[in-house]
Order: sequence, then structure tokens, then C-alpha cells
Amino acid sequence: MDNNVYQVYEDEIQALEEEIKLLTEKYEDIQQESTFFSEEEILKSIKSFQRETQGESKGHESPSDLKAQLESLETDLSFLMKLTGFQFTSHSKKTVEKTRDRTVQKHRLSGNCHSLSFQLEFQLLEVQSKEKVSSVISDLNIVMESGEDSGMSEFVSSVEERGNLATFFRSLSAYAEWVEHRRRTFLHFKAKYPEVVTLPEGLQGDYIILRNPKVSGFELMIVWKIHLDEEGTTTPVLDLLTKVPEQVLEQKMTRVESVPARFRSMVLLLGIEAALENLIKVLE
Amino acid sequence: MEPGKGGPAGNPGKPEAGKRDPPHGVLAQLEVLEARDRREAVEQEEREQREERAALLESRARELRLRRDELREKLERLEKGGLGKAGMPPDPAHPNPRAVLEWRIRSLKALLQVFHLTGISGKLSKRGLCLTLSTSYEGSHLDSFHLELLLRPEVRIQRHSIPAFIPLEQLSRRFLATDLRRFLALLSQHLEGYSSRRFQADQLQERFSDWIQGTPQRNSLCNLLKFSYSLSRNSRTFPLRARLLYQDPLRSLPTEVTVSCSPDAPAALAATASEHSELFRRAALHRAFQTFAGTHGNP
Repeated sequence: MDNNVYQVYEDEIQALEEEIKLLTEKYEDIQQESTFFSEEEILKSIKSFQRETQGESKGHESPSDLKAQLESLETDLSFLMKLTGFQFTSHSKKTVEKTRDRTVQKHRLSGNCHSLSFQLEFQLLEVQSKEKVSSVISDLNIVMESGEDSGMSEFVSSVEERGNLATFFRSLSAYAEWVEHRRRTFLHFKAKYPEVVTLPEGLQGDYIILRNPKVSGFELMIVWKIHLDEEGTTTPVLDLLTKVPEQVLEQKMTRVESVPARFRSMVLLLGIEAALENLIKVLE
Repeated sequence: MEPGKGGPAGNPGKPEAGKRDPPHGVLAQLEVLEARDRREAVEQEEREQREERAALLESRARELRLRRDELREKLERLEKGGLGKAGMPPDPAHPNPRAVLEWRIRSLKALLQVFHLTGISGKLSKRGLCLTLSTSYEGSHLDSFHLELLLRPEVRIQRHSIPAFIPLEQLSRRFLATDLRRFLALLSQHLEGYSSRRFQADQLQERFSDWIQGTPQRNSLCNLLKFSYSLSRNSRTFPLRARLLYQDPLRSLPTEVTVSCSPDAPAALAATASEHSELFRRAALHRAFQTFAGTHGNP
């Protein structure tokens, strides 16, 4: 009988403790999410913190603990960004709903992957059940500089529709690496054979022109497109277009016609760089 | 009387303790009273302890109630725009350095959380790196897998929770030492493919069990799936037999689909079978089923 009385009090105490925890978290969330300090202010604070004496307890962590925590987090982040290739330049979130088992947050994130920048927003719902936490992304909105006919905008629409944020990141990473690879390859050949190679659209373009400095009018154009399909698979597509002046054509017709096909086989057999190298050698 | 012999009566001739004569006389009465007093004292003490405990609990509850009410008010004020420019109490021009650092720490933690959503997240440890690879299906998180790497003297795997049918060893032999990023990207793709296929098979079993005979047969990698099904719910026969092969372990759609029915089946059924072959090749399994099995279950 007496245990009943205790139970009632204990239940109430537990409920109150949970509510207090929730209210405290909500308060801290609002404070956190509506504040912004610039890099300057952060650096200033770190310096002024270093001047503070040790041993300031009061239930707070010591200055050196805070500093250590900050450094460890920054190291982890910097490592992850290097490892994954994603540089996040800004992030903000707003907790829209928070109860004991359910949290809804709206996120805004910008960053870049190699030379490709993106901005996105989404809603994250987390539900706590007995064994685990489930999380669902919705309302995904992505803004990317599309550029060239790469399939990027179709891919982005497909990802937005399905809320496939992880697929977006994974595919973007692979795609960006190919773009970067192409840029480096173009740069390499331009530097190595400056008279033969020209880049009418620069390093960001998707084609390169090879010409023999002695034979005017004869040009080989190698188009290197990087295609992204709706499922996020990146495929490089290389093609060769020839521009041949009349007299050369009459003399060497058969050879010129088969060059594009032979180039494609070369690419398959030897890889892009070797194929390009061979082609340039032929021209010289 | 000899020392150490006999009970309190001290007389060897008397009966032992416990075999007393029924109480009579002043001494016996006193004993009864003493016993009752002792009992009452114990009960009194217990009562006092209970009251004390109840009082403690009550005061704690009261304390907590007060604190809770305070917090509610504080929160209400904050929500109604009790914020200055920076949202912090006094003096936004000279913020308290501790508050700034604590803010920064929480921002960085939030950003680290965001990395989980990219599929690859981790934390440096004293000896190496603890990685978490997450898989998801259309925005819903499925599974997380863990990988602990040692970074010195060379990169190698110390511990992991990767299932045995994922070619971890192969991938690590080829890429781990030279190209960690590629290793993780490929591993992540394998895990994603597997999780996605498993999810589709689970969905089929959970939501369309009325249309399928028994449970679908599948292997641990979930890249071979076989089941018989019918075109109507709770049917007793299952005239269509499907076999889905996912040859590419990275993909969540099958590379080869066979939907067959018995040779003496009506032409309409045979036509449906070949339609479904195409359907299962192009759409996720549970979505494909939804198109002909109606809106059974959640969309």
C-alpha cells in the first residue's frame, strides 16, 4: 500500500526530469541555432580564453578542456573533408519539432566537391523507437551549377524526388573526380605539347584540339564528355572528330575515315592518356 | 556454581531455555510488556522512516515542478523573440568567450553529424580511424557498418562489422594501402547495393505476403531472389514464378529477370509474365508489385 504512494511520486519525478531535460535541450537548440559568430570572433575568444587562469570549475569544463575539444573536432572535420573530398563551407539547422521520441530539423548546407559547388536544404526526421533511431530525409532541394550537357540536372531532379541525399554525395564525388581528372589531363598535354594542343574553352571545357603546326587546316578534335545518369553512375565518353582540308583528304582518304573508330579502340585498350599521347605523336 | 555452565538461571537442575513454563508472575508479565514495547518502537521507527521518505519525494517533486515551470517560462520568452541580434544574453558586441567557444563546439558537432548523411563519417582515434558507413534507401536510413583502421605503419583494418559476403578482403588488398578514398567509395557502394536489395526483398515479404507463396527464397547477399506469386490476393494458386538475378553487386536493380508460368497457361497470363519480366528489371521490386497489387500497405 505504501509502495503505491512512492510509485506515484517516483513516476511524477521521472516525468518531470524528462520534461526538464527536453525543455533545456529546446532552449539550448534555439540559442544555438539563432546565433552566429564569425571566424574573427572565434579566434578572439580562443585567445582571450588562453589568458584565463586554470581551475575555473563551477561545474563548467576547464578552458584547456574546451580548447582540446575544439581542436579534436576541427581535426576530425578537416580529416573527413580531405578524405571524402567534400568541403562544407556553411551549415545551419533549425529544430522545428522536438518531443521525447521525435525530432524534426531543417538543414541548409553549402560546399563544394573539387570544382563543383552545391547548395542544398532538406528536412531530417528522427524517430526514437525501442531499439533504434530511424532517420528520414525529405523536402530535398539541391542547387548546382549545371554547365555542359552532362545529365546533371536530370540526376539532381531524380535525387530530389527520392530524397536520396547519400546517393547525391556519392555520385557527385565520382563525377567531380572525373571532371578533375579531365582537367589535369588537358593541362598535362597542353604543357607537354604546347604547339600541338589548344584548348579553345580552356581547362573547364570538354574538348581539346590537336593540330600539326606544319599542316594547316588539319585538326583533330577530341571531345571528352562526362555523363551522369539518373542513378548517379558517371561515364566518360570520348570521341574524335576530324577536320581535314581537301587536298589531304584526297590523298589519304581511307586512313582519315577510320581514325575515329581506331581512336575509340585505342582508348579502350590503352587508356585515355596513352591514346592521346599516341595521337599527338602521330601528328608530330 | 561453576563458571560457564548452564543458562541464565545458572542452575543445572532447571529445564533449558525455550522450554519455559507458561508465564506467570511479575517477571513474566514484565517480559511480555517489554516485548510489546520493542515491537511498538520498531513499528514507530518504520512509520517515521516511511513518512520521511514520502516527505523527501514530495519535496523533490515540488522542486522539480518549480524548475520545470521556470524553464517553460524562459522558453516562452525566448520563443516570443526575447533575442537580441546574436541571441545571447547581454552585450552582443563583446560575447563571453566561453559562450563563443561552446557555440563553436556545438556547430562543429552538428557538422560532423551531417557527414553521416553523406554515407561516410568517422573519427580519428589515438591509433587510427573509426569509420561509419551508412546505407539508406530513398532518404530512409537502413544500416550502419563500422570499420576501424590503423594508420601506422601502414593502413590496415583492425576491426569491422562488414558482413562476410561483401568482398572486403579483395577491396582492401587492391586499394586500402594506396587509395583510401577509392577503397571507401567502393566498399560503400557494395554495402549500399546489398542494403538496398535486402530492403526491397523485406518490403516484398512484409507488404505483399498475401500475393506470394510462402516467403521468397534469397541468398545472403540478396542478389538472387526466387518466388511464386499470383495476380490476386489470398489466392490458393501461384501461377507465376519469378527469378531475379542481380549480377552487379553494386546495383539495386536486377540484371536478369525471368518470370515464367506453366506451358499450358492461357495466353493472357503468358503476356503478363513477359510484361512483369520487363517491369521487375526496371523498377524496384516493391514498387513494381505496387503497380499491379494495388495500394496495399504504405505508399
